[in-house]
Amino acid sequence: MNTFLLAVGIVLCLLAILVLYRVVFGPGVFNRIAAISAIGTKTLIILLIFGFFYGRVEMFIDISLVYALLNFIGCVAAAKYLEMERER
Amino acid sequence: MEVTLLMQAIEDSFRIVEESRKDAEELLKTGCRVTAEVRNVEGEKIKAFLTGAHQSKVRFQNFVVTFLIMMAFWALLSGKFDTFHLSLGVICSGIVAYFGHSLIFHNVRVGDTRLITWRFIKYIPWLLYQIVLSNFHVAYLALSPKMPINPSIIQLPSKLESDISYVTLANSITLTPGTITMDIDEDNFIVHALSDKVADDLKTGEMEDRVAHIYMEADHLYVQDVLDMSQIFSNIAR
Amino acid sequence: MVFRSEDVIVKTISRILVPFIQLYALYVIMHGHYSPGGGFQGGVILAASFILMLLTYGYGETKERISEKLVNLFSSIGVLIYAGIGFLCLLLLGNFLDYSQLARILPVEAARARSLGILGVELGVGLAVMAVMISIFLDISSGGVVPDDRDVDEDE
Repeated sequence: MNTFLLAVGIVLCLLAILVLYRVVFGPGVFNRIAAISAIGTKTLIILLIFGFFYGRVEMFIDISLVYALLNFIGCVAAAKYLEMERER
Repeated sequence: MEVTLLMQAIEDSFRIVEESRKDAEELLKTGCRVTAEVRNVEGEKIKAFLTGAHQSKVRFQNFVVTFLIMMAFWALLSGKFDTFHLSLGVICSGIVAYFGHSLIFHNVRVGDTRLITWRFIKYIPWLLYQIVLSNFHVAYLALSPKMPINPSIIQLPSKLESDISYVTLANSITLTPGTITMDIDEDNFIVHALSDKVADDLKTGEMEDRVAHIYMEADHLYVQDVLDMSQIFSNIAR
Repeated sequence: MVFRSEDVIVKTISRILVPFIQLYALYVIMHGHYSPGGGFQGGVILAASFILMLLTYGYGETKERISEKLVNLFSSIGVLIYAGIGFLCLLLLGNFLDYSQLARILPVEAARARSLGILGVELGVGLAVMAVMISIFLDISSGGVVPDDRDVDEDE
């Protein structure tokens, strides 16, 4: 079980690093926001896999929930700001 | 001669069967429409009469249901069930439900909440099955060498009425891979679809029918309703 | 001014999520002794729930739930709870914030009194942090001019 979770964690890390390309080179700000959202979803699962390895999953579930929440609110706030910028 | 008489008889019987089928269909449609109208009229009457009492009854029901949902969420989060933590949970759920009882249930007719919740719970496994099917299809599209995608933007006029049914349909479309809801523009859903097969699956309107069935809107002739009706009518005919 | 959003999806989902976020924030405050969290973290999450409502519905509709005056009141009440518990321990012939002296008035033993004292202090901290966060957001987003009732009277 441990090696399986380790493999899953490493693959997710690689995928998150691939998406980092869009954050750096994305033409425009919309690409960057969508890429940050995608990295956020991968980070949640990687946090839970850390929880399995340390043996205390319930502690890391709390941290993952908070990160998911902040990701969502950050997306809404960024979209709101861009909408107002466009109106001006 | 016998053959022409036989053919005449067969044609007549087919015609009679066809007509009786049409009559049965008309009867079923009228029955569905009559029950929908009766429910509407009752709802309007109750709202018009007892606005005061109805309002406070709705508020109390919203408070109780929100309190129960919050207690269940607290029990899910905190794994400790001794008296101290449970009493803390009751106090916190009470505070949150008191200040936010009008948030979750915005426009709901009294008495329909249990039916809608049960139908919503029955809808979720079908949605999960659709997600799994679409996952396989999109994985096949992404992994094949020439990638036969055809991205298109479709406009779907919808017959749903309330906010929460719009949101349920939009979220279901976005959750199934291959389609994303871009905007809802006064009864029109603007959806981006990845390939032709996915777009055709969406245009048949099955997902919209199922969502309308959950929230009991839009006179639709959904299969489950026809089956219920047929049982009632068979009992009356006997 | 943060205006009301016109998108029905964002409005409905924010409306449904806000009670869950608030309950999660209260869970984080109450369970500071067992899982990561405590007063400050729970206060920030509680403020985030109100900020979500402000972002999607604008200040006009959220005014009846959380207004400027209520925010000022809450920040003072939070600090009052914190310092109040400290002074209560001082009045009961102990040091400042020496929670074991609370065992004189509550029918529990000293260790339990310490735990309850810390819980009370965390509540105070959570309230104060929530109020200050919402106040900062309101100040920055409106540029210093919030259309309260006083401003409307002055214009007329």
